[in-house]
Amino acid sequence: MGLTRKEVRGIAEYARIALTEAELDEMTTYLNEAIELLQPIREYNLTGVAPTFHPIGDLSNVMAADELDANDRALELGVALGNAASTQGRAFRVPSILGDGGGDR
Amino acid sequence: MAGFDQLGARAIAAGVAAGDFSASEVARAALDAIEAREPKIQAFLQVSAGLALKAAAATDARRAAGEELGLLAGVPVAFKDNMHLLGTRTTCASLMLEHYESPFTATCVRRMLDAGATPMGKTNMDEFAFGSSTESSAFHRTYNPWDITCVPGGSSGGSAAAVAAGEVTLALGSDTGGSIRQPASFCGVVGMKPTYGVVSRYGVVAFGSSLDQVGPFGRSVADVALAMDALVAAGRDPFDSTSQEVPAGFLAHLEASVEGMRVGIMPDLMGHEALTPEVRAALDDARVALGDQGVEVVEVDLPHMASSIAAYYAIGPSEAFSNLARFDGVRFGYQQPGCTTLAEQTALSRAYGFGAEAKRRQMLGAYLLAAGVYDKYYYPAQQVRTLITSDYRRAFARCDAIMLPAAPTTAWCFGEVSDPMQMYASDLFTISCNIAGNGGVCVPVGLGADTGMPIGVQLQGPAFQDHKLLRMARALERGLEESGRIKPGSVAPAFAGKGGELA
Amino acid sequence: MRNVREVLRDWEAVIGLEVHTELTTLKTKMFCDCRLSHDDPPNTNVCPVCLGMPGALPVPNERAIEAIVMAGIATDCQIQRRSYFYRKHYFYPDMSKNYQTTQGPVAFCMHGHLDLEVTGQGAEERPEFTVEKAAGGSYVVPIRILRIHMEEDAAKMVHVGGTEGRITSASESLIDYNRCGTPLIELVTEPDLRTPEEARLFMEQLRQTFRTLGISDCSLENGSMRCDGNVSIRRRGDERLGTKTEMKNLNSFKALHDALAYEICRQAEVLEEGGVVCQETRHWEPSRRRTVVMRAKETSDDYRMYPDPDLAPFDLSDEFIERCRARVPELPLAKRDRYVADYGLKRADAAQIASNPAVAAIFEEVVVAVAKDVIPTVANVVVNLLPATRAVTAAQVASLADLLANNTITFAAAREVLETVDGTDANPETVVDERGMRQSTDTDALKTTVDEVLIRCADQVRQYREGNRRVIGFLVGQCMKASHGTGNPKLFNQLLRERLKG
Repeated sequence: MGLTRKEVRGIAEYARIALTEAELDEMTTYLNEAIELLQPIREYNLTGVAPTFHPIGDLSNVMAADELDANDRALELGVALGNAASTQGRAFRVPSILGDGGGDR
Repeated sequence: MAGFDQLGARAIAAGVAAGDFSASEVARAALDAIEAREPKIQAFLQVSAGLALKAAAATDARRAAGEELGLLAGVPVAFKDNMHLLGTRTTCASLMLEHYESPFTATCVRRMLDAGATPMGKTNMDEFAFGSSTESSAFHRTYNPWDITCVPGGSSGGSAAAVAAGEVTLALGSDTGGSIRQPASFCGVVGMKPTYGVVSRYGVVAFGSSLDQVGPFGRSVADVALAMDALVAAGRDPFDSTSQEVPAGFLAHLEASVEGMRVGIMPDLMGHEALTPEVRAALDDARVALGDQGVEVVEVDLPHMASSIAAYYAIGPSEAFSNLARFDGVRFGYQQPGCTTLAEQTALSRAYGFGAEAKRRQMLGAYLLAAGVYDKYYYPAQQVRTLITSDYRRAFARCDAIMLPAAPTTAWCFGEVSDPMQMYASDLFTISCNIAGNGGVCVPVGLGADTGMPIGVQLQGPAFQDHKLLRMARALERGLEESGRIKPGSVAPAFAGKGGELA
Repeated sequence: MRNVREVLRDWEAVIGLEVHTELTTLKTKMFCDCRLSHDDPPNTNVCPVCLGMPGALPVPNERAIEAIVMAGIATDCQIQRRSYFYRKHYFYPDMSKNYQTTQGPVAFCMHGHLDLEVTGQGAEERPEFTVEKAAGGSYVVPIRILRIHMEEDAAKMVHVGGTEGRITSASESLIDYNRCGTPLIELVTEPDLRTPEEARLFMEQLRQTFRTLGISDCSLENGSMRCDGNVSIRRRGDERLGTKTEMKNLNSFKALHDALAYEICRQAEVLEEGGVVCQETRHWEPSRRRTVVMRAKETSDDYRMYPDPDLAPFDLSDEFIERCRARVPELPLAKRDRYVADYGLKRADAAQIASNPAVAAIFEEVVVAVAKDVIPTVANVVVNLLPATRAVTAAQVASLADLLANNTITFAAAREVLETVDGTDANPETVVDERGMRQSTDTDALKTTVDEVLIRCADQVRQYREGNRRVIGFLVGQCMKASHGTGNPKLFNQLLRERLKG
């Protein structure tokens, strides 16, 4: 009832990580071992136990005032685009989005 | 004059303030030491000599102008390479970010610099902090200063090694499941993971957002306390929603008496099969040392601790998948050339840019968050987190700190632990602290009788009681020093005094 | 294809809307302090947070949270104290982190409603309400709102090398992150709407409400208010829901109505010919007046939602919610009812004034400054003349209404006066005097004008005498023209009748 190679291929496609056939085998083995490692958390009766998504005690309602860039974090264009491999003019550039039948939004 | 590596952070700041030596002299000494020691240690991914000399000159100019100097005036500091510092690359030891120039400076780095610290560079780490040996760095290994055939631990292995080898006085690391405390133990230095929310995460490349916490390495508890004061002095960080207000004064109360305080031990854990005899012996020594300082030993239990590895490997990879989704090669990071579609470009960029462990963690996370799977692992893991947190609350009602190993063994040799599951299991004693969000600190106890390698003992404290935790750590250090087992402030012997004379 | 009114006699349409509204009246983005702006050069207002740079962290904008709570209060939603932000993952570069920060199963606002009043021709799209319609020509129907949640907008992408800037066949795309991180509230209705007209009205009413709250400029044209429509049809009397399609690019009220009408007719045709409706997303093409398939939706997307660990939970206090409630102004429907009750306005006039906050503000200022018997004239000016102006003051409207009410000027003259004073601080009465626009009540002078017109318009005089009494209107018009608008039309009417009788 472990993950199959085909399922792992599907996860890799979703996660946008190209895997070779050999890597796919290793990944399948790894994921099944890792899932085995997680089994203890399925062994408790957790009925009525609230989850702790944030280890922050009672901290809540953290918000900031609607004030313009008091700390001047806006980046110069050169810095904003500086780490991008493909740009055109003032914009970031990506190749064809639908070439693979991916989704329009 | 002595080598700069013989001085603690407080002594350097005091010496700079008094004019015994200048910040620039200290910076040059540190650069000299790095040059001499780095070929064998390789703790750094980038040495920022220019930034260091400029910062030191600014400190000297401030002194010359009669301005008040910061807590860390002239103290050479290194930063783990997942922390942004303008003027340096931030690579996370990954091909993905090999050429990534920091567009801003992380709050934790900024605070150290605001306190007058001199930035010496960026240290090696496991890629994106996934690992416990720094071996998954895409660029090179880092060698343990106590035995260069051994790993320095990880993921903050570069920071721990740089401090242990005397290349810098202080370093910052990040700890998601033990990544400060375990390398501190392996390298024989003090490493502190504060309570979640004490140090801002803004500008630190995220691994597990609900687990990550930044903290300092030093060669003494006092140096770590001083760094903590610098990190929290400016209050909570408005750029980090999870950051909380903590008063400074870590150093000021460090030497206060611990008479009547209690330390909890878990007898079952002491007998854990994974512990080597020398680690067990170190725990006994630590208990005796604390007893000598007037600390009472009580027995406590954390019944759900055994599940912390499972909970951690559900929560951590899920958050990691999510945090690393942004690395698609569009706005930053490696981009595969010549692709005709975006999906192809993204998948190939990520395939090239990420190493094996980074891929494994993201794949696991992508699976665990999937519809139908989320309810089986991620959600119950967060419920188990509640149970583990309650365990700690109950335990801390009976004691001020809990004593644990930082790692079941001393540093292992390169390549010795290659199986991911075996590597994950070695985190057993550190990760429950991240799950609950509590503070933890690793203090060197001495060298193992069998391996001759450093062993650290871990103290964990309740959330936002980090002052008290450091006081207990200092008591442990004092006790061990008094019994002659350790000499706080000392550098790994093979490297002490190599280069770095204060002219 | 048959028209939608015919189709809806046999079929019932089930329509739900998802409405995205940018909070354009804020100064900064949702999770960072970058400037909100629609017209800066690409990638001007970007920082590590909205560019999704590694290490950046979000902090929610308090004003945005206040705005959504106000929106919830205005639509009778239950305000949820406890809620989380979630991460919604999809790999698409318009969202810089490859996940959108949005809300999970619990939104700030849950389970509200808006009551729609459907009148006139639009009411005829709903055949089963004929009885009520016969009574008042309109019907009222409550539309339930499932939720309103807070999220962040995506970047703008320009698709290059394709047709019409569409993504299909584009060879590359350019990304501008200025819009990325703009505070966005998404309202989801229950599938309670039954006709395209109801959908259109719902959007209109929602826009009026949000504009009155001052939380957005709600421009469909500029995309600060956007709407997706889901529609399925079923045979009248059938309880089961049909397969729905989702409509995109509904960027005007007309597009919303027409696309739904088209889609209802298309689905009916498919089903009547024995076909099946496919679950898919369709794009409205206004130039060809049709919807075309954008993508098939065979399985629901798995967004791998989970609570965002970077954002603390919300646990809104009573004090916070009450502070928001206090900031909710009187809403258009309440305003309309008050205008009818307090000032005796016609319901339609009252509704029109109340629907535009700026117009309503002028009306309210004028109405307290004039005598009670002038109020109907004020309403007349505000409804019929004010919408065409740019910057007219309340004092000018009041003065104009007085001049009209005491028959000093004609309505035609009033229009001209208003155009003249628009954007200035000129007094309407001064303009009237300068231009000699005062209505003449000098009967002798008017008689002269009437006689001139009667001589000139012999044909119409004959028609009148042959029994076509309606031609009098034409003759009054001619008199008005001849007097350059200064004659009183009532007096002209009276004098004409007297002369024609003789």
